[in-house]
Amino acid sequence: MDPLLRPGHNAPHLPAAMGPGYADVFDRLSRQGGRVETTGTNALPTFDAHAGAKQASFQPYQNNGGSVVAVAGKDFCVVASDTRFGLGFAVPTRMISRNLVLNDKVVLATAGMQADTCTLHKVLRIRLDMYRQNHGKDMSLGAVSQLLSNTLYYKRFFPYYTFNVLGGVDENGEGFCYGYDAIGSHEKVKVVCTGSSQSLIQPVLDNQVDGKQMYDGQPVAELSLEQTVELVKDCFSSAGERDIYTVGLDGRGQPPLYVKILKLAFVLTSHPLRSKYTRSHFIQGQSPAVRDSQTTTDTYFT
Amino acid sequence: MVREGRMFLTRSEYDRGVNTFSPEGRLFQVEYAIEAIKLGSTAIGIKTEQGVVLAVEKRLTSPLLEPRSVEKLVVIDSQIGCAMSGLTADARTLIDHARVETQSHRFTYDEPMQIDSCAQAICDLALQFGEDGKEEDAMSRPFGVALLIAGIDVGGKPSLIHTDPSGTYVKWDAKAIGAGSEGAQTALQEAFSKTLTLQEAEVLALRTLKQVMEEKLNKTNVEIGAALVETGEFRVYSSEELEACIERL
Repeated sequence: MDPLLRPGHNAPHLPAAMGPGYADVFDRLSRQGGRVETTGTNALPTFDAHAGAKQASFQPYQNNGGSVVAVAGKDFCVVASDTRFGLGFAVPTRMISRNLVLNDKVVLATAGMQADTCTLHKVLRIRLDMYRQNHGKDMSLGAVSQLLSNTLYYKRFFPYYTFNVLGGVDENGEGFCYGYDAIGSHEKVKVVCTGSSQSLIQPVLDNQVDGKQMYDGQPVAELSLEQTVELVKDCFSSAGERDIYTVGLDGRGQPPLYVKILKLAFVLTSHPLRSKYTRSHFIQGQSPAVRDSQTTTDTYFT
Repeated sequence: MVREGRMFLTRSEYDRGVNTFSPEGRLFQVEYAIEAIKLGSTAIGIKTEQGVVLAVEKRLTSPLLEPRSVEKLVVIDSQIGCAMSGLTADARTLIDHARVETQSHRFTYDEPMQIDSCAQAICDLALQFGEDGKEEDAMSRPFGVALLIAGIDVGGKPSLIHTDPSGTYVKWDAKAIGAGSEGAQTALQEAFSKTLTLQEAEVLALRTLKQVMEEKLNKTNVEIGAALVETGEFRVYSSEELEACIERL
């Protein structure tokens, strides 16, 4: 098991109430009315710089969990991520975006450490702007896939602690996605999941989308956009039941996740907690405007 | 010294500094560099729907000279080629730079560079000259060479671009540079049509070269190449292919 996934091991170097050990300290402080006792059984731990050998440690990483999924169809790609920011047994916020809409045809979703995710997204956004200015066009899905790989590999020896999936539609209008490891190895696929629920979601997608583990020769029905969105939501609902680092259903039985759907040039956003576009919109085929949805996302999280 | 006390009074004083404007707003060294191209051998580019043809004259000053060692038509990246006129040694620096930039683009984005971007990269370097010599790989003077860049963009769009020592690049349907450029450009203007086929463009390029060349045109003293929409690649023609083109004249 990833040591960073184990509860209580998150950022012990941080003095804030981040590890379970500190919860106790703050609890006692409040019971004492803010008065600090230095002796007796209620005494807070004190730090003596000269008491025995100390080991310095540099722990620059923390795992904020999260799962990201991309499923590509013939002329669309669905990119989804949950919104839980996990830290040990705590959930400091339930509303973060792991998605980055890079342009009309490419969306990135990133799990792992949220600080690294923010930096990576910022770097990529700037690189895409520069590309547009230098070459007078938007970057294609393939170009972004290579740029992301290089960007990750350039930090080969102090990597971004991020696990990415990239989804979009290529120059021919066909949907594709790319799965990455933290240092840029990537693979072009039709369906991919990374993050804390990877082991729960990926096999289901392999089975439902790719027809893996099916009886030999059994044809796989191609999923429609609506079916794909429902499948992805179900994946998150189920994963959330077993993985505390991935959010499950909210109080209304809706999975609070971001789903971006790229259909040809259209980017659609669905977020039950704030959006006007819920699953019924997809089923009825009411497509909200492209720019509208993009602006909503961008202004909300930047 | 004569100049003492009356610096820059005569017009010729402004010849000295490569980055000094004359009172009329001119950079003489850049203009002289453009003049240097008119001493170079003629090069012609013609754009058609099927691709872009480049043809160059090779001045063979002695019968003992090995014609193949005179190279004025080169590949920059698989989809981009280039013809040069002027100081060909200067062209090597620009072409090396363009080759690095196009390869770097492939490395970073896993896609071929656009022809426009390649021309822009060349022009960026063409302007990197100055006297201070602070930048290590900068030239002390303008590059005395003009290039005709031919290539096919992703999606099969052909481009013909002319660059000069001022760092300007312009797109053309048909363009001649070098010693015979004036006559050749006039000839091209009369004969060019957007409906030319690639074969017709090959013939027009060679016929135009033939008009302005002092020597009799043969398979050793010209080079021809083309960027083809069909393959998306630039290729310098073999001597057999060149011979076949000459026979069609």
